[in-house]
Order: sequence, then C-alpha cells, then structure tokens
Amino acid sequence: MQLSSLLLAGQGKSLTSLFSLLYLLLFLPACIIGYTVTPKKWKRYFLLLASYGFFWLISGELVIYLILSTFSVHYFGIWIDRISQKMKAQLSELPKEQRKEAKAGFVKKQRAVITLAVVLHIGLLLVLKYSPFFTTNVNLLLSKLGLSVKLTVPSYLMPIGISFFTLQAVSYIVDVYRGVIKADDNIFRLALFMSFFPQIIEGPICRYSETAEQLWNVKPIEYKNLTFGIQRILYGMLKKIVIADRLTLFVNAVFDVKNDYEGGVIAIGAVCYTVQLYMDFSGSMDAVMGTAQIFGITMPENFQRPFFSKTISEFWKRWHISLGAWFRDYIFYPVTSAKKMKKLTSSARKKLGNHYGPLIAGSIALFCVWFCNGLWHGSAWSFIFFGMYHFVLILIGNMLEPPVQAINKKLHIDPKWFVYRLLQILRTGVLVVIGELFFRARGLKAGMDLFTRMVTNFSFSTFDDKLLKSIVVDRYDFIIVGITLLIILTVSILNEKGICIRESLAKKNIVLRWVLLYALLLYIIIFGAYGLGYRPIDPMYAQY
Amino acid sequence: MERLIEILEDIQPDVDYANCTDLIDGHYLSSLSIISLIAELEEEYDITIPAVEIVPDNFNSAERIMKMIERLQEEY
Repeated sequence: MQLSSLLLAGQGKSLTSLFSLLYLLLFLPACIIGYTVTPKKWKRYFLLLASYGFFWLISGELVIYLILSTFSVHYFGIWIDRISQKMKAQLSELPKEQRKEAKAGFVKKQRAVITLAVVLHIGLLLVLKYSPFFTTNVNLLLSKLGLSVKLTVPSYLMPIGISFFTLQAVSYIVDVYRGVIKADDNIFRLALFMSFFPQIIEGPICRYSETAEQLWNVKPIEYKNLTFGIQRILYGMLKKIVIADRLTLFVNAVFDVKNDYEGGVIAIGAVCYTVQLYMDFSGSMDAVMGTAQIFGITMPENFQRPFFSKTISEFWKRWHISLGAWFRDYIFYPVTSAKKMKKLTSSARKKLGNHYGPLIAGSIALFCVWFCNGLWHGSAWSFIFFGMYHFVLILIGNMLEPPVQAINKKLHIDPKWFVYRLLQILRTGVLVVIGELFFRARGLKAGMDLFTRMVTNFSFSTFDDKLLKSIVVDRYDFIIVGITLLIILTVSILNEKGICIRESLAKKNIVLRWVLLYALLLYIIIFGAYGLGYRPIDPMYAQY
Repeated sequence: MERLIEILEDIQPDVDYANCTDLIDGHYLSSLSIISLIAELEEEYDITIPAVEIVPDNFNSAERIMKMIERLQEEY
C-alpha cells in the first residue's frame, strides 16, 4: 500500500495502534515538530487540529459524530449554566423561607435538561451499538413464540472510540449540572478535551476537570517530558509487541479454532489471554500517557498493577480505573443516593446491622453498575454474563466478609501475613482468569463449553511441541514472554513499593541512561512479534 | 460534633473519630459505611447530600464531615 493512501480520510487504520510505524515514525514526530515550531498562543489550536486530523484519518466522515457530540454538550452545558445563574439571581432576592420552594422549580428544569442530554448521547450509543443485538434477540423470541414476524437487523457504521468519548461527554454535562465545573463557553477548549488524539481510541475516560485546562494551557516541549514520554511509550511497546502480540496465535488457536483441546491447554489459553489483554490495554495506556507527557499533559492513570489485588473489588479499582470511576460517580452513587434507597438503607440497618443493612442498597447499585459494565464491553450475552459474574463475585465477597473476619480472629490468622495475602492474590487471579475466559470466548455457549472442558478434563498431556507446532508457535515464544514478564513483574513490584524507576534512572549518569534506553529498544526490535510488512495487531479495547 | 461522633461510632465502632484524619484514605470507613452514614446524616441534620459531595475529602475526618453538613445546611 502506498504511504500517501494511508493519509486519506478513514484510510489511516494503522493509526488505531499507537505502536504502528505510521504513528511512531510519521504522525507523532510530525506533531512534535509542528507543535514545536508553532507560536505559543497557537499551540493549543495545533493540538486540536492534530487531534481532528488523527480522528479523520481513522474514521473518515464519521468524525461528524465527534463534532455533533461536542456541539451538543457545549450547548447543553451553557443551557444548564444559564438556569443556575438565573436561579442564583432570583434566590438572592427572596426571603430564606421561600428559597427552598423556588429552588425546587429551577432544579426540576435543570433535571429535565440533563435528562434530555443524557438520553440523547447515551441513546445514540445504544442505537448504534446495541440495536443489532436487541433486534436479533427480539427475532429469536418471536420465532420461539411461533410468530413469522421478523424485524430487520440494522447495521450502522460506528466511529472508533465512540464509547469513550460519549462517556466523557456525559461526565462533562453531569459535572456542569452538579456544579463541579462551570460550563465551558469556549467551544475549542471543549473540543480539544473531547478529541485529544492519544486518548480518543482507548481512553482513559478523562474528566473535564482533569485535562481540559492542561490541554488548553499547553507549554513548550521540555527535555524531561520528551525523554520520559518516549521511555513510557517504549515500555508500552515492550508489553504490547513482545508479550501481547506474541501470545496472539496461541490464544486465537484455543478460542477461535474449533478443536478439542484438553482442559490444561484451555487453562493455559485463558491465562495467556488474560496476560495478553492486560499487556495490550495497559501497554496502549503507556503509549497514551507517554504521548501526552511529551506535550506536558498528565493524564489520569488507568491501571495500578491490578494483579496484586487481594479481592475482585480491589481488582476493579486497579483495572481500567477511569471506567470504574465513571460507573462509581455516575451510576453507583446516584443509585445509592436516591431517596428510596436511603430509606431502605436506614430501615435495613436497624434490622440487619451495620454490614448487611447497607449491603442491600449497595448491591442493587452494584447490579446496575455491572450490568452496564458488561454491556459497555459489547453487545452480546457473553459480555452481560461477564458483568454478572463479577457482580456475583463482589456480592459473595461482601457477604462473606464478617464470617471470614470472625474465622481469622478465632484461628489467630493475621490478614497482613505475607502467605495469607499471597493466597488472596492467587485466588483473585484465578477468578479473573475464569472471567476472561468467558469474555474472550466466541459467545456464551462457547464459553460454557470451554469452561466445562477445562474443569472436567484438566490435563496437560497433549501440551507439547507437536501441539505448539500445529499452532505455528514454539517454546521460544513462551520463553521470551516469560522473561519479559519477569522484567515487568520486577518493575511492578518496585512501583508497588513506591519506587519510581524512571526517576531513579534519571539520577544516574547519561551514558548508563542511554545504554538502558537503547537496550530496551533493541530488546523490542529483536524480540517483538513482527516480521516484514509488520502491522501491529489492533488494540483490543478499541472495539469497545 | 458530639452527635456526629455518636452516629459514626454507631455505624463503625472502634475508631478514634476525634483525631482520625484519614477515615476514607486509611480504609476506616468502607463504602457500605458511607452509604449508611449518608442516610443517617440526612435524617439527623435535615439535609440532602448529593452524589457530588461523596468524595474522600468530605469524609476523611469528623471535622470535614461536620463542615460539609454545615455548608449543606447553609445552602438554600
């Protein structure tokens, strides 16, 4: 393919990977140079232009969704803000006893506006993403009922990253309504917040208060930010190209090819997929953070070493943090804060005590969160199952907390004991891997089948060179993955202890620093899973 | 303040509420305790605690909780 053809609308598919040569050797350097030579007061507009250029290259005319979404939240924000201002002006003139009633009228108006905004944005996402799933299931139901009516299953073109920028748009408008932020009257600042190119494909889902001002008040590229940013991108490449992409063939063989692998091989496949997904997604996040850092932007971290988690609940506070935080702030707390829920909590606490009392309202809210979480990942029953699986695990964890604490006390087991914590970490890991097996399987039925075979025929007797050869991988792939995982594990343990390796290295002499940087680059070049005509495998989370 | 500490002790005993300044960050109050606490505070102080107020900064100490209550009472 001609390079020039990649720079046409919707043709720059390679850009969907921040590890593609097109991105790393052409788009990013061009942005850095363009940004540097652009006069200071125009740098923000350069970033906006680069972001829209990026989106146009990967999505073509579908960029219209992003434009409309931005205009829409801009207008809704101003609308809500105007009602607030009017309310403040009017309430300040009223005696205190009349204020409550007057305020209720304005709040009602604001609620109507925010409801309309949320329905429009989430509604569009629902129609584009879920209507085929919905109509397919309705058709299935109709045929089961013996009715010959059949709805046409719609098919829509969706821009990449719509799930991410829609959640960002909703968080902006709700935060304006809640008074956390002021409505932005500058459409360009809001557009840059919505479209910043490194994060548009896979997040993180940023809040306006986290990044909008940073992006608008851009500063010149500094040496430290440039080197730290490049290091972070390289670290992401190590995860993505050396580990995630190298595991692809084996994972695909276990999950996609109809076969009769024994349980042990399926278990290895599930572990490999979990590792692949983590390395792919967190590696991509490293590239996002690194790119942003080059321009002096600090993005909120999306991962915090999730596989050191002792419980499933903790795991989800460390994995895809921005999505979990979005569900917490815009679904969990609003549901538990609803008047009826508060009444339920008060009365249940009196009857069931301090732990189980609030657990009822908390569990209803958790159910909503996990149903949405499952659906957010895709329109299929297997994703809904995935959400419900984690909901049930968290619910069981919450229910068992008091008896487990009582048993530990009786047996004099200290929960801070290293072995105890290690066992908790291993248990959480196993539960996560089982969840990922269903997540990756081609449908819920296939997931059930794989899981059943994994537990009923658990053996490794066929896991040998012959089997690997049939999948076109060999033991060296696993050795390279294993060594690289050890490197990442070491870095993660140090990070977990609060040691920042990049800061420590920055204090060493320049020769050692550059030797290490080149060593990392060489390691990626030598052991990366690619060959001639290489194009990295698309980031896995871009499809959500 | 005394009444607030009573409510807190009723929900989660064995914490030094008079001096503790990291009730959330130090994991002394779980998310379930917060759900109970919000319901109790609303009933006791005749306030509405919106979701936006449920941030660690507002719940890390009895003093911070009291400040939030006073602020919400002051609102129209």
